[in-house]
Amino acid sequence: MPTPMEQLIEYIEYILTPSTPVFVVGALIVVLVPIIVHIFVTQSTPYTSLPSVVLVGPPGAGKTALLTLLERGDAAISTHTSQVPQSIELTVSVDQHLSFREAVKDDAPGEHKKFLLVDTPGHGKLRNFAMDSLVAREGLKGIVFMLDAATLDENLAATANYLYEVLLALQKRVSSVKTSKTPSAINVLIAANKSDLFTALPATLVKSNLEAELGRIRKSRSKGLLASGVGIDDVDNGENDDWLGEYGSEKFTFGQMQEFNLEVDIVGGSVTEGKVDKWWHWVSERL
Amino acid sequence: MLDTFEILTTSGVVLWSRSYAQVSPSIINNFITDVFIEEKGGAIAGAKNNQSAAQNPPYKADQHTLKWTFVKELGIIFVAVYRSLLHLSWVDKLVDNLKTIFVDLYGDQLKKPNTTLVHCHKFDGYFDQQLRELESTTATKGAPAPAFALETDETISGNLGDEPPFPPGLKHRSAKTQDGAHDLPSTVESTPIATPTSSRPSTPGDAEGFCPYVIGRRVFRQEKKAPKKGRKWDADGFADEEDDVQLDYSAAPNSITSDSEVEGRSTVIDSVDSSTWGTKTSKGQFVLRDLDDEVHDILASAQSKSSTTTKSGLVGSGLSTINSLFRNVVGGKTLTKEDLAKPMDGMKEHLIKKNVAPEAAVRLRDSVEKELLGVKTGSFESIDTRIKKAMEVCLTKMLTPTSSLDLLRDIELVTRPSGFSSQKARPYVMSIVGVNGVGKSTNLSKICYFLLQNKMRVLVVAGDTFRSGAVEQLKVHVRNLKELTEREGGQVEIFEKGYGGDAATVARDAVRSATSEGYDVVLIDTAGRRHNDQRLMSNLEKFAKLANPDKILMVGEALVGNDSVAQARNFNASFGQGRTLDGFIISKCDTVGDMVGTLVSIVHATNVPVLFVGVGQHYSDIRNFSVRWAVEKLLNSS
Repeated sequence: MPTPMEQLIEYIEYILTPSTPVFVVGALIVVLVPIIVHIFVTQSTPYTSLPSVVLVGPPGAGKTALLTLLERGDAAISTHTSQVPQSIELTVSVDQHLSFREAVKDDAPGEHKKFLLVDTPGHGKLRNFAMDSLVAREGLKGIVFMLDAATLDENLAATANYLYEVLLALQKRVSSVKTSKTPSAINVLIAANKSDLFTALPATLVKSNLEAELGRIRKSRSKGLLASGVGIDDVDNGENDDWLGEYGSEKFTFGQMQEFNLEVDIVGGSVTEGKVDKWWHWVSERL
Repeated sequence: MLDTFEILTTSGVVLWSRSYAQVSPSIINNFITDVFIEEKGGAIAGAKNNQSAAQNPPYKADQHTLKWTFVKELGIIFVAVYRSLLHLSWVDKLVDNLKTIFVDLYGDQLKKPNTTLVHCHKFDGYFDQQLRELESTTATKGAPAPAFALETDETISGNLGDEPPFPPGLKHRSAKTQDGAHDLPSTVESTPIATPTSSRPSTPGDAEGFCPYVIGRRVFRQEKKAPKKGRKWDADGFADEEDDVQLDYSAAPNSITSDSEVEGRSTVIDSVDSSTWGTKTSKGQFVLRDLDDEVHDILASAQSKSSTTTKSGLVGSGLSTINSLFRNVVGGKTLTKEDLAKPMDGMKEHLIKKNVAPEAAVRLRDSVEKELLGVKTGSFESIDTRIKKAMEVCLTKMLTPTSSLDLLRDIELVTRPSGFSSQKARPYVMSIVGVNGVGKSTNLSKICYFLLQNKMRVLVVAGDTFRSGAVEQLKVHVRNLKELTEREGGQVEIFEKGYGGDAATVARDAVRSATSEGYDVVLIDTAGRRHNDQRLMSNLEKFAKLANPDKILMVGEALVGNDSVAQARNFNASFGQGRTLDGFIISKCDTVGDMVGTLVSIVHATNVPVLFVGVGQHYSDIRNFSVRWAVEKLLNSS
């Protein structure tokens, strides 16, 4: 009866003696290990290259509701304050002018294209994700800035502030590029939601109010204090860094953003009534 | 009675809801904001994963109480809303049980990426069953502790001896067929008749069918759902036996007469059960019963799962160690509490070295740990980098204010209200409070300088009527500022009433005179006070009432250590009901280098944002607070 020690020695001797099974097993290990590691790694990082459209906007505007409406195709379901971003996969027809209700069906005619619609939390503390994705997200095709047209009067300052941040981030994205190759255009749709409500402002009024408020914000920011962490040396070279639109211009208009390859459209609609086809078409055209 | 029960995801989508009374959606929105996003109300009131609803502090909003629980890995929240007046003791149990059931049934659907669709319309049935069961327990017994399915299970198995663990319903039925007649009388006797006095004693037919059946079913169901039984069996009762049914089934002789029937009956049921689960004969009933059993199964298995710890052999543990080492390098490792313990403590130490108060550091550690438990690391990502990333997110979330502040814009809204609003133009009042020697007057002058550069008319009020030289000090500041800003078009005056007066009245007079003379901004300096001196702090309440400032800013030193938490808390609470600080100015940031932990400590203590930081000795050395800058400094490990 061999002791375990002897067994072990025997075993090691067998492995170290060159023979066909040992070669075969060794070769298998050499070939398979890298493959397994590769599979292992790729599994954990899903390969996403779908074009995406990001929903941003102040809380309570109806971002998540729009998301659910577009996904379900019949009606939006009730929603609450979001804490984490949520993306959904949608298909849009390439060659036909379909409403979102038709597009959501499996048997919708025409050629299809898939894209991700990303909902972001609107709460002030959680805007990081939205702002990061504006700058860093690959395949970003458009941004839908949702706002509540019914309560815009009260929330004008807060809404415009957020919009200012978004537009400024996009502007910096374009202007900060040093190479001749300009980054692809990212367009912004300002979706004035809740047009079903009595107090809702029409798109034209939303536009003029926002432009006026953005102009005021721009002005007061230019006079404001520097942010901590900005050294004295940085001040001189980046004179117009935080100025949205055409530098030095008296009034702000969305048209000024074209200089930075940004097109801003304002369209009204209503999630609760399902009147979102105009937004849907805007999105499909950008993909 | 319950008002609303909702199951929602962290992304805000309501997956399932049942509403009995109109509840404003803002209640749940506020609940989410306060508990999950802003983490108000104490250190880690925030969402502890998978904790029972009883341990989560109930959230109270006017007239309503919310009981909730949260499953992190699936990102779903369960909320029950009811009127605060009603003391519904079973709501905790309901929330917990429904959580278990929902996770068991629909957990897989929730894990799918890129969709919000969860098909859970069948959940209605489960909800109804649970609600009925729990409501009835409290209704019949009036006892605070709702009977749980498991407990009754145990009594049964004890009664019948060596029975393999079947699902509750099955077990009972099989027991009946085996030793039916002998067992029955005793069981009947042993059961205290919890006859559904509370359930409707509706038709005689009801009672008829009820009786013989009850004998069989009673053992299992007695405690749980008395009211249901009556309704459940009436159809059968009608069909089979019309005569000689005793309502008095407590007496032994009677039960003997019905024994044979019962035996026959139970075999009938058995055959029905084994062949068809909820078809043909009395379809509705059997479907219902299935649901009950299924629910109890789910709850029981969840219970046993949580009680048994997974033990693996030597080989298993060895393999898992190798696997975890491998994962540690390659990434894709699922983080456990043990993995996190050491690096997390390291992170805590690091924060404390940065002058973060231990209390705040512990909170940050806990919330990062909460965030990371069960998370998979990315490819080629070590635990440390992952923790750093999570800490960055946590700090950013903590320090970012809920609404961004633009002081100039705020002032403009008050001093030059738009034509639509009904408000009259008035000066914007700011006051500055703080402990002795933190730099209140200096920071007031800095803000004043900034406002003057924006061509505003500022009135500086010497509210420190106590310390020698305080008024003169402000006078010197104002004189300097006048000279400095003459060219720019600002205008500044001082309002002082000498020493010994009441600061609150001085402030009120100053605001009045500023209103009549058309100043844009009133800046009120106050005397420094020790935050734990009750006598001095109580003056602040009167001050807040009389001067009624638009903004109360507290100056905190970056140099101060652990005391910052208490300072911020005490000042925040000293302005009376419904008035808190509006922001902090952190002074002397230039003297501490990277150790800006005070920022974190005070925001942790009060949830009030930092507005400005003082970065030098000159009038111009004041900066807007930038979250990114602070987070960078805090995590910088050089």
